[in-house]
Amino acid sequence: MPKIEVNEELFFGLAGKTWSDKEEFEEDLTVAKAELDEWDTSLSADRERTIKIELNDTNRPDLWSTAGLARQLRMYRTRSIPSYPFFASRKKALKAPYRVMVEKSVKGVRPWLAGFVAKGKPISDALLRDMIQTQEKLAWNFGRKRKGVSIGIYRIALIEWPVHYRGVDPDKVSFVPLQETRTMTLNQILEQHPKGIEYASILKGRPVHPLLTDAKGRVLSYPPIINSADLGAVQVGDAEIFIEVTGSDYPSVALSSAIMACDLADMGFEIENVQVDYEYDTPFGSSVVFPYYFQEEVSVPLDDANRLLGSSLEMAGALEALTRMGLCAYSTDGALIHVAPPEYRNDFLHPFDIVEDIMIGVGMEKFAPLRPTDFTIGRLTPIERFSRKAKSIVVGLGYQEMIYNYLGSGKDYAEKMQISAEGLVKIANPMTENYEYVRNSPLPGLMQTESVSAKASYPHRTFEVGKVALKDSEANYGIVTRQYIGFLTSHAQADYNEIASHVAAFMYLLGKEYTVRESSDSRFVPGRQVDVLVDGARVGIFGELHPSVLEAFGVMMPCAAGELDLEMLLED
Amino acid sequence: MIDQSAARALHPLEVKIILAFSSGDIIDSARVREKLGFKEGQDQQAFSWLVAKGVLEEADRQTEVFYELTPLGQEWHDEGTPVMRIFSLLRESGPLSLPDIAQKLGFDQKTVGSAFGALSKEGVCAMDAPRRAVLARPELPQPLLDTEALLDAAAAHDGSLPETSLTPQQKALMAQYAKKRGAQDAPFRIAERAKVLFRLTPLASEYREAVTALGMTGEELGAITPEMLEKGTWKQGSFRPYNLQIPPARVIPGRRNPYVEFLDSVKDKLVSLGFEEFDGNMVETEFWNSDALFMPQFHSARDIHDVYYIEEPTHAKFIEEPYLSRVAAAHEHGGNTGSRGWQYQFDRDFTRRLILRSQGTVLSARQLPKAKVPGKYFGIVRCFRYDRVDATHLSDFYQTEGIVLGEDVNLRTLLGFLEMFAVEVAGAKEVKYVPGYFPFTEPSIEVHIKHPVLGWFELGGSGIFRPEVARSLGVDVPVLAWGIGIDRMALMALGLNDLRELFSADLESVRMRRSQYKIQ
Repeated sequence: MPKIEVNEELFFGLAGKTWSDKEEFEEDLTVAKAELDEWDTSLSADRERTIKIELNDTNRPDLWSTAGLARQLRMYRTRSIPSYPFFASRKKALKAPYRVMVEKSVKGVRPWLAGFVAKGKPISDALLRDMIQTQEKLAWNFGRKRKGVSIGIYRIALIEWPVHYRGVDPDKVSFVPLQETRTMTLNQILEQHPKGIEYASILKGRPVHPLLTDAKGRVLSYPPIINSADLGAVQVGDAEIFIEVTGSDYPSVALSSAIMACDLADMGFEIENVQVDYEYDTPFGSSVVFPYYFQEEVSVPLDDANRLLGSSLEMAGALEALTRMGLCAYSTDGALIHVAPPEYRNDFLHPFDIVEDIMIGVGMEKFAPLRPTDFTIGRLTPIERFSRKAKSIVVGLGYQEMIYNYLGSGKDYAEKMQISAEGLVKIANPMTENYEYVRNSPLPGLMQTESVSAKASYPHRTFEVGKVALKDSEANYGIVTRQYIGFLTSHAQADYNEIASHVAAFMYLLGKEYTVRESSDSRFVPGRQVDVLVDGARVGIFGELHPSVLEAFGVMMPCAAGELDLEMLLED
Repeated sequence: MIDQSAARALHPLEVKIILAFSSGDIIDSARVREKLGFKEGQDQQAFSWLVAKGVLEEADRQTEVFYELTPLGQEWHDEGTPVMRIFSLLRESGPLSLPDIAQKLGFDQKTVGSAFGALSKEGVCAMDAPRRAVLARPELPQPLLDTEALLDAAAAHDGSLPETSLTPQQKALMAQYAKKRGAQDAPFRIAERAKVLFRLTPLASEYREAVTALGMTGEELGAITPEMLEKGTWKQGSFRPYNLQIPPARVIPGRRNPYVEFLDSVKDKLVSLGFEEFDGNMVETEFWNSDALFMPQFHSARDIHDVYYIEEPTHAKFIEEPYLSRVAAAHEHGGNTGSRGWQYQFDRDFTRRLILRSQGTVLSARQLPKAKVPGKYFGIVRCFRYDRVDATHLSDFYQTEGIVLGEDVNLRTLLGFLEMFAVEVAGAKEVKYVPGYFPFTEPSIEVHIKHPVLGWFELGGSGIFRPEVARSLGVDVPVLAWGIGIDRMALMALGLNDLRELFSADLESVRMRRSQYKIQ
C-alpha cells in the first residue's frame, strides 16, 4: 500500500483546514481510507513539517498525492466539487496550443501517450518534491513499476514543438541521461545506468525502444527509463513545465495525466492542453487533446444500494452523500442513481462501487450494527474433532504438545533427518535458505526441540498435530496436505518398546486395529522400526531414531519417535 | 523450650538417639549401631540432621586406617593367590617350566617369577635340571597360608579391614601387600577415614522432654505399605507425622500447548456463534489465492516478492470449471457479474501456477461453490508470506477468516457480526468501524476495538464480496467476508511479546508457559 509524505503547510492549505488534534485528523482521514503513519508535531516550523500517511485503497491513485488527498477531505467537509474546465472529451473539443506526434514505430513497444502543460507560478521546493513523489507513486504502485505508466516532467522553455514520440534502434541513438555526464546509447543506459538496470526488464530484447524528442531531434527522455540531462531536468523556480505520461495501458496513462493535471490546477497552476496525434487509431481517436475525460457514466438503483447497506435512504440523502465524496450524481426518475466519475477517478468497475461512496458519504456512524438472525449450526471439521480426541490420548500418555512453523531449511528437514530433499515441496523463490522447504513430517520440529532442550529435565515426551505437504502425482496440484501427528520420547531408556506401547495404547483408545511390518526408513534404526498398517494400508511409522539423526541435531539422548496420518485413521 | 511441632518433625532415627543418650554423652557410629541397631548410613544421616538442629556437636575427630581389597585382592580371594595356584598346578601336573606355568594360569612372567620366588624361599619349590619347577614339599607352610587368611578376613568385612583388628604378624604381612593408593598390582589399598565423635548438647534434654511428652518412641509407622495393610500391623502403631512444609518434588505432566489451546478457544467460540469450520490445502493456485478474489493478475500485491512459488510441480493440472471461465470473464470484461472487469487479457496459464496459500480468504472462495444459504463458515489456517522473520512477522502464521451467506445480509448485519467478534472473541468494550479497502469486497470495512489492555487496534478487515467474486463462484446472495487478527491477543494471553515465541521449540519454556486468557 502506498505511503506518502506531505508538507504540512501545503496540505492544510489545500484541504482548507488546519488540524492540531491527532485523533480528529485520523478520524477525518478515514473518508479517504487513509491512515496517519507519522506526524511529529514537536518539530519547530510547520512550514518544514511533514506528515506521513498510508493510503489503503490501491484502486484510488488520485489519493496518493498531497493535492488529491486534501481534495477528498475538503470536498467531504464543504460539499463543493471543483471543476476542471481544461478537460477535453468525446463531447467537448478543445484547441491545444501544443502538439505531440506519435509515430507508428512505437506502437508495438509502448503505444500510449498523454500530456499537458502547467504554467503560471514558479515551482517551490516543497512543490517540486511533491510532484516527484506523485510521479513516483503513480508509476510504481499504479503503473506497475513503470510498465503500465511512467511520467516525465520537462521545462517548456527549452523545447521546440512539436514533440515526437517514436520507436528507435537502441544501439543507434544516444544522449546524456540524468545523473550522467557522458553520452550513452539506449542499450548502454539499460546496462550501465542505475535506472536502466532497475527497469531494463520492461524493454530488454525489444528491437525498437521508445524515445521522446523535440522538433529539433533533441532527446527529452527515454521512457520509461530516464530523462535527458538537458531538456529533462526540472528545477525549483521553473514556471512552465510539460508533463507527459507514456505506458502500455491506455486508461491508466490517461488517468495518470488527469490526476497530475487536477493536482496542479488545485495548487494554482494554469493547465494548457496538448494535442497528441497518433499515426494509428486509439480508443479515444487518432488525434486526442489531453487532459482527456474518458470515463463512462455509471448507475445503480437506489434499492440495490439500500439493500446492500441495510439502509432506507431517500434519493436526496444518497445524492448528498455522493456529493460529499466529490461525485456529480443525479437521478431523473428517483429510482436510478447516475454518477459521472470525477476526472481523476476510474474505480467504478461495478455499480456496487457507487454504494461504498454512499456509505462513506453518509458516515459509518449512521449504520447501526444489526444482530444476525439466520440460524445455522456451527461445527468443527471432522479432522479437527478427531485430532482433539487424539491429542487428549497422547497428553494422557504424558506428552507435551508443541507447535512449529511449517517452513524450514533443507538442512533441518532433509539433511539432518538423513532423507533426500527430493520428496519435499520446495519454494522456487525463497527469501532465505532458512525458509526454503515445506515440511513433510512433524519429526524435524520435534528433533529441533531436542536439539535446543538438553537442559530440560528428562524424560522429554513431545508431540505435535499439524499439517504436512506431500508430493502426490495423482493429485491435481501434484501435492497434497495431510494432518499428521508426530510424537517423540527421549530419555536414557527411550526405546522401541516404549514407543510401541504408547502407539498400542493410542490405537486401542481410538478403536483402531493395526498390525506392524518391519520398515526401512533411513530416519530410524534398521530392525527397530515398523510401518503401522490399518486394513493393509500404511498409516505411519514408529521406531528408534537413528543415532546419525541424533548426531546431526546434536542430541546426546536416545530418542524413539513416530508419525501417523490422522486423516487416514479418521477414514472409515 | 522445644515446641511440639519441632519435636514432631523429628525423624524416627533422631528420636531414637535422643531417647537412648543423654546430654554430654559422647557417641560415634559404632556405638550407635551397636546400641540402636542402625544400618550403615542411617547413623550418618541421623548425625547430620541432629548437628543441623544443634542437638549434636563434634567432640573429637580421629583418623582410622583401613585395608581395602583391590580388584586384584578380590580376584586372589575368589580364585586363590598366585602362590596357591602355582602350588596346586604343580601338584596336579608335575614339573613345569615357568613359561608353561604362566601360559596355563594366564599370568604374566613377573607374577610367576615373584610367586615362584616366594615358594622357593619357603622351600616348597625348587628348579630341576631342565629348568622346571618341581614341588619339594607336599603342603604349604604357615606364612604362605596367612595371606589367604587375611584375604578371607577382609572379604568377610565387606572388603575393608580396620587396622585395629589385625594381629602384629598380620600387620607385618599386610605391610608387604598394601599400598597407599591406586596400585593395581597390590591386593590391598590403604584407606584413611575420619572417625568423628559427637557430644549431645544440652538441647538434647529439651528435645527428650518434648519427645517424651508426645509419647514418641521412634517406632512410629512410616510409609504405609501393602504388607502393613494386609497384615493389619498399622493398627498397633501410630503414624509418624511428616514435615508438611517441604517443597514437593517436580513432576512433568503431559499437557496441551497453550497457543494451540488459545486457537482452539477461538474456534470453539466461532462454532458457538453458528460457524462451520473449513480447511484446505497449503499449496494453492494463483486462481484460488487471488484470481477468484478478483485481484487483477497485474496487481502490485501479486508480485514475485509477495507469494512463495512452488518449484516442482509448477502448475496445477486444471482449474475447476465453470469457475475458471467465469472468473476469467469477470477479469476481462465482467462476464455476467454486472462489472466492466479489469479490461485485460486473463492469463489462463499463470492462473494454474502453484503457490503457498498467502491468505485465508482462499478457503472462503473455495467454500462458495459448495456453501449453503443461509450459511456461516470459518477457518483458522496457516498462511505463508514473503516476509523477513522478526518479532512481528513470520513466514508462516495463522489467519482467521470466514464468510456469512444469506438472502438478507447487508452492511449492518456485517457490522453486527464484527461487533459480536469484538465483544465475544476479543473482549472489547468499545468498537468502531472505518472504511477499508480489499480488492474482493465492496464495501469494505475495518473494525477497530478498544481492548482493555492493548488499547485501540485494528481487529480485522471485512466487507461484502464483490459480485465479480460471489457470482463467478455461483453465489447470488450477498456474502459477508471477514478476517480477524488474533495474534496480538494470543501474545497477550500467553504473556509474550514476540510472535516467534508462539512457535517456540524450547521445551522448558513451553512446559512452563501458562495461559492467562479468559474464555468469555
